[in-house]
Amino acid sequence: MANRSWTQNRDNKAAKMASISSLLDGKLVKTENAKALLESIIKPGDKVVLEGDNQKQASFLSETLASVDPEKVHDLHMIMSSVSRPEHLDIFETGIAKKLDFSFAGPQSTRISQMIADGTMEVGDIHTYLELYARLYVDLIPNVVLVAADKVDREGNLYTGANTEETPVIVESAAFKDGIVIVQANEIVDKVPRVDIPGDWVDIVVPADEPYQLEPLFTRDPQNVTELQILMGMMAIRGIYEKHNVQTVNHGVGFNTAAIELLLPTYGEQLGLKGKIVPNWEVNPTPTLIPAIESGWVKTIHSFGGEVGMENYIAHRPDIFFVGKDGSMRSNRAFGQMAGQYALDMFVGSTLQIDKYGNSSTVTNGRLSGFGGAPNMGSNPHGRRHSTPAWQSLRPDDDPLGKGQKLVVQMVETFGSNKKPVFVDHLDAEEVQKEAKLANVPIMIYSEDTTHIVTEEGIAYLYKTDSMAERQAAIEAIAGVTPVGLRSNPKQLKELRAKGIVALPEDLGVHRSEAKRSLLAAQNMDDLVKWSDGLYNPPAKFRSWS
Amino acid sequence: MLSEVPPEMIQRVKNLTGVELKDTAEAYQDSIQIQLGILLLQLFDIRQLKAIQQKPDAVAGHSLGIFAAAVAAGVISEDDAIKIVYIRSTEMQKSYPSGYGMGAIVGLTRKEVSALVAQINSDGQPVFTSNQNSELQTVISGSLEGINKVLALAKNNGAQKTVLLKVPVPSHSPLMQKVADVLEKELSKVELHDPKCTYLANYNGRSSKKVTEVKYDMINNLVHPVYWDTMMDVASELGIDTTLEVQPGQTFTKLVKSKFPDFRTITMKNMSLDDIEFLLEKWKRG
Repeated sequence: MANRSWTQNRDNKAAKMASISSLLDGKLVKTENAKALLESIIKPGDKVVLEGDNQKQASFLSETLASVDPEKVHDLHMIMSSVSRPEHLDIFETGIAKKLDFSFAGPQSTRISQMIADGTMEVGDIHTYLELYARLYVDLIPNVVLVAADKVDREGNLYTGANTEETPVIVESAAFKDGIVIVQANEIVDKVPRVDIPGDWVDIVVPADEPYQLEPLFTRDPQNVTELQILMGMMAIRGIYEKHNVQTVNHGVGFNTAAIELLLPTYGEQLGLKGKIVPNWEVNPTPTLIPAIESGWVKTIHSFGGEVGMENYIAHRPDIFFVGKDGSMRSNRAFGQMAGQYALDMFVGSTLQIDKYGNSSTVTNGRLSGFGGAPNMGSNPHGRRHSTPAWQSLRPDDDPLGKGQKLVVQMVETFGSNKKPVFVDHLDAEEVQKEAKLANVPIMIYSEDTTHIVTEEGIAYLYKTDSMAERQAAIEAIAGVTPVGLRSNPKQLKELRAKGIVALPEDLGVHRSEAKRSLLAAQNMDDLVKWSDGLYNPPAKFRSWS
Repeated sequence: MLSEVPPEMIQRVKNLTGVELKDTAEAYQDSIQIQLGILLLQLFDIRQLKAIQQKPDAVAGHSLGIFAAAVAAGVISEDDAIKIVYIRSTEMQKSYPSGYGMGAIVGLTRKEVSALVAQINSDGQPVFTSNQNSELQTVISGSLEGINKVLALAKNNGAQKTVLLKVPVPSHSPLMQKVADVLEKELSKVELHDPKCTYLANYNGRSSKKVTEVKYDMINNLVHPVYWDTMMDVASELGIDTTLEVQPGQTFTKLVKSKFPDFRTITMKNMSLDDIEFLLEKWKRG
């Protein structure tokens, strides 16, 4: 015992850093030496976090990693919240990496399925974002993390600005456990506008050959909102937002929720709901929220990440957004997911398939898209103790020890864009489980957590059902002419309506004929720019008028 | 169809195979003439693209098209491609003189089609789920008896459209194993190289840069479905956003456009080489 060293990790790190001292100028490594750096500092079998967030990608470092000599660097255990870029998977084909723990792989879902089936890649597991971050501190502690920053000074202080996203949670897991923190920088500056990550936590900074990849993933053009989505939005506002007195909310990023955002200042106003519902949001700064912000509906927004084009608007609305002294937004996906799980009355999302029991999944047709954040926000957190009126409104009244429940709402049209039923007896995910040899069926949101389903037919208040048979009947009642929906009959529907388990538009006072595009507060991108007083600057691909 | 192809290329086919390519409607009733004619047109297009210094990041062929794709990727020489396609088409023609073919079903998923195929397929009336051209466009292959029964079932189960294709052989089904056996022998004599760009394989819908995969595809793609839809998914995931379709048609451009509306597409059938060069250079500049 006397001989045991308690500083082996620290000594290893010191030795590794010493081995690359010839490449270092302070903390800086030249762009052209990035490959040599990674080849020296990453050891075979290392656990490596590669920052692939939702919007922001450490693209210079991922390309550099894909270019290293597989003789020198191989069999890495990659940990990535989002597998988005081709080289994120190329490294498994070349043997640089072997194992993957991840959350979301939507943009590479075909290839990742193929590589799992072929044994090219070994999957540790598929996680929600929050789970993956949590494991960075317990049993997936990284040896090396590769992250991206906007600006870095000579001390290594990082400015990550509006797209801070995952950077803090990744860096902290390595910085205090003798891991090595390597940052790609868009720009080296004398003084950063604000310190998002202290330089003390950063080991190595490499100026990137070009700025990190950043995509406007959450911009929805109002032009593409359909009248069916408007109808469903009206039903949701009346039958859920108003009925349950919802104050705090996260919206998914589809056109269904964009419709709701654009209906608040018009339809919501007509109903006299302004000031009564949804003042506080955990959501990315989606441009379709601008009219609701400008007309005083929205009081606060905290964000997981930024949104390209919203920077200047946000800088001018610090009462609404989380903004640094420098005037730019600070996002944080880990805190955002935590807030989304514990602090919200309601999550509203969409999905590709819902089974007859109410389980939903976006995994279809051999594509393993993973999870992202929806399962955190779309689940009822059993650790929650604080009460709000909306949460309490779902409390069962027959249980003296009962408690409230988060509202988890799925909004879907009964048929998908491929004209195939969204409501099915069996999820495609069940087959994908077998193909990819997963321990569990990759379900996005479980039936037990799903409290409401909204379709163009009506709303099913699943939380009111007291048996699985009744739950199935409620789903059938709003599943339209899908095979699941065709099992419903008028008698059953009448009973469910009488019990308040199913509501049709007329039960909610919503007239189908009123669901017109003219009801949207903004009809197109130009309207959003006008609402923003010219502060919103849409990315080129959304500028149809220029 | 071959009017723009230089006579020396047509002569080359004759020297290598003995087949005289005739540019007449009558000649195109013959599947050997068709296959060699299409290949030659594609080889000509590839030469033209080379002449304007345009190199692909990835190649994708559909069935016969993989041979031109393999030439474009530098895997096989023009001459060897011509010789192999001649053998392939001859063996195909010999294999099933009558009673076999292919059908297409539009509006059902592969899973739905496979369930119908399973109801009909038997040794007496073999039929198989074959090419996946798009999510809702699946081809079946086998005996005409089996095909017609599946097509009728498909109609009754919600298919928007069913067609018996003008293909006289059960291509892309296990019934083609004998042709694959011949091709295996023939391709073992041919010098092949690793592809210079990504190759998207028919038989499994995967991308590869290995000669072994291209060779396997050239031998065996007739035995397997063409997973075209998956090939396009993979292409998109690899970052491809521009396609160029060599002659004769524009079928695959249409499939790409409906799957990926944002893709930039070129069909050589409809565009001059000057225009193609101009567009490709312009898109490269961004």
